[in-house]
Amino acid sequence: MESNKKYWKGLEELHNTKDFVENSKHEFAEPLPIEEVLNEAGLSTVTPRRDFLKALGFGLGAVTLAACQRVPVHKSIPYLVKPEEIVPGIPNYYSSTFNGHSVLVKTREGRPIKVEGNPNCILSKGSLDSKGQASVLDLYDVSKLKGPMLNGSPATWNRVDEFIKNELSKAQSSNKKIRIISSTVNSPSTKAVIADFTAKYSNTKHIQVDAVSYTGIIKANENSFGKVVLPRYHFDKADVIVSFSADFLGTWISHLEFNRDYASNRDNASLKNKKMSRHIHFEAGMSLTGSNADTRIPLKPSEEGIALIKLYNALGGSLPISKDLVDNPNADKAIALVAKELSAAKGRALVVCGSNDVSIQILVNAINSLLGSYGTTIDLDNPSYQYAGNDSEYVEFINEMKRGEVGAVFFLNTNPAYDYLNAKEFSDALAKVALRVSFADREDETASLCQIIVPNHHYLESWGDANPVEGYYTITQPTINPVSSTRYAEEGFLIWSDAAVKDYYQYVQNNWSKNIFSKAGGTSWKHLLQIGSVYAGQKKISSYTFTHDLNAVAQTIAVRSNTLGKKGENIVELHLYENTAIGDGKTANNPWLQELPDPVSKVTWDNFVAIGPKYAEKLGIKEFDLIEVKSATHQVILPALLQPGQASGTISIALGYGRTKAGKAGSEVGKNAFPFLDFVNGTFQNASSVTINKVGGRYELAQTQTHYSIEGRNIVRETTLKDYLKNPSAGTGRRFENKVDLWKEYDRPGHSWVMAIDLNACTGCGACVVACNAENNIPVVGRDEVRRRREMHWLRIDRYYSFQEEDGKSVTEENEIKHLENMDNVSVVYQPMLCQHCNHAPCETVCPVLATVHSSEGLNQMAYNRCVGTRYCANNCPYKVRRFNWFNYWNDSRFDNYLNNEFTQLALNPDVTARSRGVMEKCSMCVQRIQAGKLHAKLEKRPLKDGDIKMACQQTCPTNAIIFGDANDPESEVYKALKSERTYYVLEEISTKPSIGYQTKVRNI
Amino acid sequence: MRSISLFFKGVKQTLFLILSLLFIGEGTYAQSATEGATLFKQKCTSCHAVNRVVIGPALKDIDQRHEEAWLIEWIQNSQKMIASGDAKAVALANQYKPNVMTAFPELTPDNIKSILAYIKEEGNKPAAAANASAGGQSGESGSNDEVNDFMLGGLILVIIIAFLVILVLNRVIATLERLLLQKQGGVIEEEKAKRGSIRSRLEHWNALLNNKKRMFFIVLILVSILGTMGWIGMWDTDVHTGYQPVQPIKFSHQLHAGINKIDCQYCHTGAYKSKNASIPSLNVCMNCHSYVQATDKYNGEISPEIKKIYRALDYDPTTKKYGPDTKPIEWVRIHNLPDFAYFNHSQHVKVAGIKCQKCHGPIQNMEEVYQYSPLTMKWCINCHRETEVNHKGNAYYDRIIAAHEQLKKGEKITAAVLGGTECGKCHY
Repeated sequence: MESNKKYWKGLEELHNTKDFVENSKHEFAEPLPIEEVLNEAGLSTVTPRRDFLKALGFGLGAVTLAACQRVPVHKSIPYLVKPEEIVPGIPNYYSSTFNGHSVLVKTREGRPIKVEGNPNCILSKGSLDSKGQASVLDLYDVSKLKGPMLNGSPATWNRVDEFIKNELSKAQSSNKKIRIISSTVNSPSTKAVIADFTAKYSNTKHIQVDAVSYTGIIKANENSFGKVVLPRYHFDKADVIVSFSADFLGTWISHLEFNRDYASNRDNASLKNKKMSRHIHFEAGMSLTGSNADTRIPLKPSEEGIALIKLYNALGGSLPISKDLVDNPNADKAIALVAKELSAAKGRALVVCGSNDVSIQILVNAINSLLGSYGTTIDLDNPSYQYAGNDSEYVEFINEMKRGEVGAVFFLNTNPAYDYLNAKEFSDALAKVALRVSFADREDETASLCQIIVPNHHYLESWGDANPVEGYYTITQPTINPVSSTRYAEEGFLIWSDAAVKDYYQYVQNNWSKNIFSKAGGTSWKHLLQIGSVYAGQKKISSYTFTHDLNAVAQTIAVRSNTLGKKGENIVELHLYENTAIGDGKTANNPWLQELPDPVSKVTWDNFVAIGPKYAEKLGIKEFDLIEVKSATHQVILPALLQPGQASGTISIALGYGRTKAGKAGSEVGKNAFPFLDFVNGTFQNASSVTINKVGGRYELAQTQTHYSIEGRNIVRETTLKDYLKNPSAGTGRRFENKVDLWKEYDRPGHSWVMAIDLNACTGCGACVVACNAENNIPVVGRDEVRRRREMHWLRIDRYYSFQEEDGKSVTEENEIKHLENMDNVSVVYQPMLCQHCNHAPCETVCPVLATVHSSEGLNQMAYNRCVGTRYCANNCPYKVRRFNWFNYWNDSRFDNYLNNEFTQLALNPDVTARSRGVMEKCSMCVQRIQAGKLHAKLEKRPLKDGDIKMACQQTCPTNAIIFGDANDPESEVYKALKSERTYYVLEEISTKPSIGYQTKVRNI
Repeated sequence: MRSISLFFKGVKQTLFLILSLLFIGEGTYAQSATEGATLFKQKCTSCHAVNRVVIGPALKDIDQRHEEAWLIEWIQNSQKMIASGDAKAVALANQYKPNVMTAFPELTPDNIKSILAYIKEEGNKPAAAANASAGGQSGESGSNDEVNDFMLGGLILVIIIAFLVILVLNRVIATLERLLLQKQGGVIEEEKAKRGSIRSRLEHWNALLNNKKRMFFIVLILVSILGTMGWIGMWDTDVHTGYQPVQPIKFSHQLHAGINKIDCQYCHTGAYKSKNASIPSLNVCMNCHSYVQATDKYNGEISPEIKKIYRALDYDPTTKKYGPDTKPIEWVRIHNLPDFAYFNHSQHVKVAGIKCQKCHGPIQNMEEVYQYSPLTMKWCINCHRETEVNHKGNAYYDRIIAAHEQLKKGEKITAAVLGGTECGKCHY
């Protein structure tokens, strides 16, 4: 049964459109111009003998002259005084902090080249997301400022300080307000600095605001339990997870922690114990989390509150329902089933909601209280400090500026001119402020409205700390001297307030020894720098019960639902979301993140209007048609993308795009959707009612989705938990025994490197892709080249759709058509696809120059300097994992947004060749790491231990879905993983004998 | 470090030998000045120079500043004198604080007298003259090289001229002989015959040229000779064996590694632990060169090459202070591997136990370093094919070797057997 299941990567493939069929016949997106050359005109062209000889002679002469060039002289410049800890050629690792997660920064000869999660980190447990992996590239961003700016021209620090101090005392004496606007600050030292500053300038207020806000949850907890906090959620303790549009695996609050916890109930180890959590997801647009759910039900934003009220009632509550889920019978049915499942799992259930509406969150609190989640899956006593933004304070600040009450404003790590819902209103109000200071590292949208820009250090250049959750403190340690003339924002505050200690490093150290070591227990500063963080341990978790009356809340929800669900011609509900890579747009200038395909839509370098295929058909919208999206205050024109699973009557647009002053890579990419946010009931809400119109014209999105066809082959395999419990090898398909083989058998007497990938643990987040980029110097090719299918990623995450029926039966190819009516009910499988290091590799046999050969350790090696670029190997690779270098991406002005400058090239890994134009490349199984690991063992004269060598993708994986190791070592993790009954090999039937085994996806339905 | 102490031990021994030899000789004034010169170089130059302050004061006119008896006592044990409260000694000690003069109890009063004699002699030479002579010396040595080249060229020229002269003379002799024969008569026929023979020879050549088979044969030989020469020439394209660029400092491996026997690792610290052997940073140089200044070779001046180190570090040898105006030394890289070839020193030096000389040649004899090995892939691979893996006592190899020995009964396990010739071992 399973082997018949029809999977498809995109609608083109599902419908077998003419273009798709035509394209899939070609190996390369653009056919070679052979026919043009060989057509009659080409053949009949006469080349006179003399011309031929002239060309020949000139060519010979030119080549000879070119060859006469002297060998370049290489200089070797040693240190004058070598720092003791640096040995050229050996990396040093320093603990630091990225976004509240303790990380290890790999430096080579004093320059950071890679960021990896710190295994000591209680949140990430050694993993890191795509943003963290990419953060090292921001250090080498050429768009950053080189020093402080005063009124648009470079100034000295002294002058800037003098100016600011002068203005501050003026503001203070005239009793004007001083405001520090920042995104959430959870650094104890920064907070202390701001407190010191406030003590000196008493009119100061620190206002925190997050572009994507969580004020709703915080306010709801205040309202329900009197605790102004963001709770910690424990997905590992939940057997039934019901999420209403909370993308907790992608972007929601502490997604790295949630990934790990979520996967711990679904991975190989958990399945061996015959246990798997159940995840039901309601949402409008298809999110990363929704696509991982066991059951996903499309739900409009306007229906969300109603659905929650229904769920509350089904669990025993009795709230009036003003409007039923008439348009959505599926959801209606599902709510009843969900309620049953939830009440069966009381104390082991968790309901989360991504809405920022206080009323909705209060209702969610009430539901969780009924389910006994407080004290088990939700922890209010050890809260999270990752987001603390207060929307109403922020709006009040804008009003203060409008009224001319503000004398000085400081913007720290925030960009209201871009992400406030009314940029015009903001900039007009800001103009009334006498002193405007931005700490932005570049002249961004807000900074360019400020007189003064005092660029802050990049985190890899800074001392600092963070307190992301209760009792957990991490330290930020610089890994390089500040590259430009930048300065800590904190040091600025210290100088302007004439503090006793102006050196921020000293300040942090003092703060730790005075306040933190005593609280969190840590031993010494030195020890702290080695381990990176201290954790005081969990405070006692107590249970909370919701006791308030909900009638007012239900009333508010009903009103909001009516506004959102406005009916009318071309009126749709807009759902705004963050994608995993670009997020709220702060990292928009990072080309690695821009080129990381969105996990679901596989679109790079753009945002778009996601719209359900059936609904689009109704409106006469085709893929890539330009759509005008209009609200009362804002309008944008974006291309449409037909997104299976999108709730009918809704569209989704990603936030974080459309930056105008992000830098070379990130400016003018996509359109800004922040102005569509609604400010309702004291919070910014990510849903609104808009009208859409086709405006004519098309815009082709750079999508990696359908670049390669699977030709109906059985590449992803899945089963259900029921079937798995009956037969652990369910769904793995037929085992192929090959009696005849074209290839010779080779021994792998030493090591035998293999990999196991658990499709049930993989959530498709894409962190591995960016980690691979950073480790292996993979070039960024840009939007146009992605359109030509020339992306260079060695590791891609394939996303397959399939139809899901409620009774667990899958849709097979034969009866697919009649089910097309129900396009919304799709399920998704993610599959990381990289070179399979086939033992009988088809690519090796066709290489005319032996540039790709097999090693005795089972690796499929690629010798770049031998490759002449025939691309036969790519043609013959059944997995389509080989990539061809069409350009010298690091030395070509057409790729100016990436490595085409010496500064950014400092981010390259010196142990991996930067490939040149005209050669093939592909996953090398991080051979540099294998070699380094082996050498390390040899130098220490000990056998290689399992886990000594970790692949870059494996190292960063938040869910441990990737395991690498030596198959010749029966004690190794990977040996055991591949012995699992769930293991299958992709395209086993063609006898390529891959080294990478996959484990089936299991669905708990 | 051990090697350095060994080196000092060695120096000590030679020193005693020289000293004992000196004692055998009788000392006249002149002799004592030469004896003094030797002793001065051995004992004093690390801290003193005649005309300038090094660590201790400049010694010119020392005999006029102090009495001889006082000096002898001071040199033999200065600390004792300071302790005894000698006013002059205390004043001197305060002036040069915190530096303390080493005691030389081994120097007899006669030795000291000879040293003083030497200082007097040196001090009397005008400083400028000393500089000029040093300059002249180097100039001379420079011109010596030129002379050598010039002489070689000249020699070739002379040979060519001599050859021409011989040719001309031959011609003259032939003409004269002919004239002589003409006078004797009846010889013209012979001449004619000779001419005839030339003509016939030309015809012979023509015939040869017209014979296509023979012509083909000759062309074939020519083509194959030229082709072989070209092939060999092209084969060595970008092979730079013998590459010996001029370095910013005339650093002599012969002196450091050869004569002084400093261990390679002392400077090239990375060779045992890293991919790069690494060129030492200047603080390593300064471990010795803060006091080893080779002043004896440059008439009391600091060696100009060592001065380059000081310049780079902005180090003032008189005040012993480091300044801010540093300037790194740009060595010219001799051993250039292409970027796509990964080579790790520690794998070869530490794990495999290969001597540096195996690839770098007789480095201890090189005044200036040149590329000894071709550094071609063929050269790498050959070694990997021939060299047995140094697996004894390295637990990493135990299982791997065991697995291989089942395959290769009795055959030697070379690097190639363990996959040392596979592309991905060096190219990634």
